[in-house]
Amino acid sequence: MSASQIPNLNTLRRGAGRGRLRGRGGHEGPGSGSRGHNDRVVQGTDNDASVSRLSAVGLGYLDDPHARALTPPGQETRRLPIINRGTYVRTTAIDQLVSRFLGSTPGSDPTWKQKKKQIISLGAGSDTRVFRLLSSPEAQNNLVYHEIDFAVNNAAKIKAIRGTALLQRVLGRLEDVTISDGGDELHSRAYHIHPVDLRTLAQRAENETLPATSPVNRLQETVDTTLPTLLLSECCLIYLSPNEADGVVRFFTQTLFPPSDDRTETLALVLYEPIRPDDAFGRTMVANLATRGIQLQTLHKYASLGAQRKRLDEQGFDGGQAAADVDFLWGRWVGEEEKERVAGLEMLDEMEEWKLLAQHYCVAWGWREGSTWFDGWRELEEQPAEG
Amino acid sequence: MELFRVGGDVPDTNYLFMGDFVDRGFYSLESFLLLLCLKVRYPDRITLIRGNHESRQITTVYGFYDECIRKYGSANVWRYCCEVFDYLALGALVLGASAELEPTGPVYNDTTQSTLSTTDDAELETEVLNSKGDVTMSTYRPRQRNSLDNGSTSSTRDPAPMRSGAPGTGASGSGGGSSGSRTGAVLCVHGGLSPLIDTVDKIRLIDRKQEVPHEGAMCDLLWSDPDEIDGWGLSPRGAGFLFGADIVKQFNYKNDLSLIARAHQLVMEGYKEMFDGGIVTVWSAPNYCYRCGNVAAILELGEDTSNGGTVTRSNGDYGRSNGILTNAANKASLRSPGRRYRVFEAAAQDTRGMPAKKPVADYFL
Repeated sequence: MSASQIPNLNTLRRGAGRGRLRGRGGHEGPGSGSRGHNDRVVQGTDNDASVSRLSAVGLGYLDDPHARALTPPGQETRRLPIINRGTYVRTTAIDQLVSRFLGSTPGSDPTWKQKKKQIISLGAGSDTRVFRLLSSPEAQNNLVYHEIDFAVNNAAKIKAIRGTALLQRVLGRLEDVTISDGGDELHSRAYHIHPVDLRTLAQRAENETLPATSPVNRLQETVDTTLPTLLLSECCLIYLSPNEADGVVRFFTQTLFPPSDDRTETLALVLYEPIRPDDAFGRTMVANLATRGIQLQTLHKYASLGAQRKRLDEQGFDGGQAAADVDFLWGRWVGEEEKERVAGLEMLDEMEEWKLLAQHYCVAWGWREGSTWFDGWRELEEQPAEG
Repeated sequence: MELFRVGGDVPDTNYLFMGDFVDRGFYSLESFLLLLCLKVRYPDRITLIRGNHESRQITTVYGFYDECIRKYGSANVWRYCCEVFDYLALGALVLGASAELEPTGPVYNDTTQSTLSTTDDAELETEVLNSKGDVTMSTYRPRQRNSLDNGSTSSTRDPAPMRSGAPGTGASGSGGGSSGSRTGAVLCVHGGLSPLIDTVDKIRLIDRKQEVPHEGAMCDLLWSDPDEIDGWGLSPRGAGFLFGADIVKQFNYKNDLSLIARAHQLVMEGYKEMFDGGIVTVWSAPNYCYRCGNVAAILELGEDTSNGGTVTRSNGDYGRSNGILTNAANKASLRSPGRRYRVFEAAAQDTRGMPAKKPVADYFL
């Protein structure tokens, strides 16, 4: 139990047990809240992720100088060792997929490496990946990075960027940077932050007309549909309803990047999501998150590695699909030496709990038929299908 | 509280807790202090042995330290608790456990593994009960006979006559006659065995009043795990060892043990017997850390009352190997104790007294 969760009994002494009444009030229960309330809960999950990232960085699991600037002050908490290890595996596994996409792994084709590429991160929130990838001017020539999230999350991030010189390095020349009056939208040469509620993308995919001022229009203008593009969704689409989640993907696969006749566009999707809701651990996870008002809406539809692969195939990533849970990724993707280093950072006593937890999260990746240059992904070991 | 509801109140039931009193939830301190109070009030009814979490280093990572700071604003309470941890025993021996269980009642969902047709020929060896007290599984073994005509099983069974009197009467033919139901001792230890420990006596020699070291016999007892391997192996936990069936068999034989009971590893079903019943993992924390969704179990041992409740073997020394192998025949007479597992789930939130805040477990979001 990390400290922040332990009830502070001193607060009960004062006042009349406000916390208790609130906890049992019932009218804030899952599902009964307004859409606005549920949105705030989902927006709050980003905070969870950034605190976990900072914990893993602070203990040496990850090297990421940007983590502190993007975590709200005063929120720093040491997470449990299994959470830190999970954060490590999740981050490094996606890093590996990304760096292979970028052609920056040793042995990659140099012509591919020099080709300009694009990453679109859904529900990016306080994610630091963009700062790690765009830290050099050279990288800014070769990569365009788009982040899409709620305006409120963007505003916090843009505020952090404004206040931190280290983060401003990704922006390139400052005269190229524009920030909206509301402080929730940013455009620079290589980095764009879009204040878009993903559900409006699903609406656009259904050819609904959106107001002329909708930030979706600007998203469509700034995304370069000629570039090889990687979509990232780290614990994001799962909060949408199955229809909306599929609609968001359709916006990219049909509206923005419609398949051409010769099928040569490079488009790929990487997902990181919980799975296996139907065993004892999974049921407890669903129930626990529900008490926080968090509903993992597509969890039951995409409940297994097989279902995730099928989903990718059906959603147009028909060139190849693969998936592996975090337990597998720790076992097979992390090198022995690195495993030893990470295992030495903290004594991880709870081996059984680690396995349980790690088996309930997966990374899935798929690419469109005809997409070239995914040999780097084909070499990665995926987990055999479940029985 | 739920555990005492399921297992029976102190002092009517004797309890032995196998460590890890803290770091298991939001109320570590209260749980540990309750156990200490019970120990003070009923010193001969409660036994506490040390787990690997009863250590300064582990509690600073896994939450007990944070809990004390948060509840009391200073580390003093944590510091005093850690001092108490240093005095906890590393293991315990249960003597005089009965080999046979008194059946609890009718069996539901009977998955009896015995092929014996009548219970006259069989005695109840293990029984599993759910939290309502319903029997969900039971296993039998052949009752001991005077002769060797019990077929293949008899070679490993005690040929001595079974006790003749009713439980509690001590009405057996002779003192020796009652040895038919004599069980070996049960060694209770949090983690498991150590390559440095080949006899129970060596545990007694450990200077234990200290923080749990990173290596050595004391560390191993609190950190090791049984595994399906031969001999010893490296532990993925970074402390202690893995040990296989052969190690358990040798150790039990050499020390006149019929069972090693240990905790340390989460078992979703609450308990797990391994190596032909030579070792059992008992896990008594339901829905561990509010996250795992597991059930918990208590292992209940009956008292062998055939000698009026007296135990011939004192302090674990009875029949101790004197190095002469002629003891072997006698040793084979040791039988495993009857084992009743009471399986239970976490108490419903509302019945939990005063949760000041709903438990929140971390996930990746």
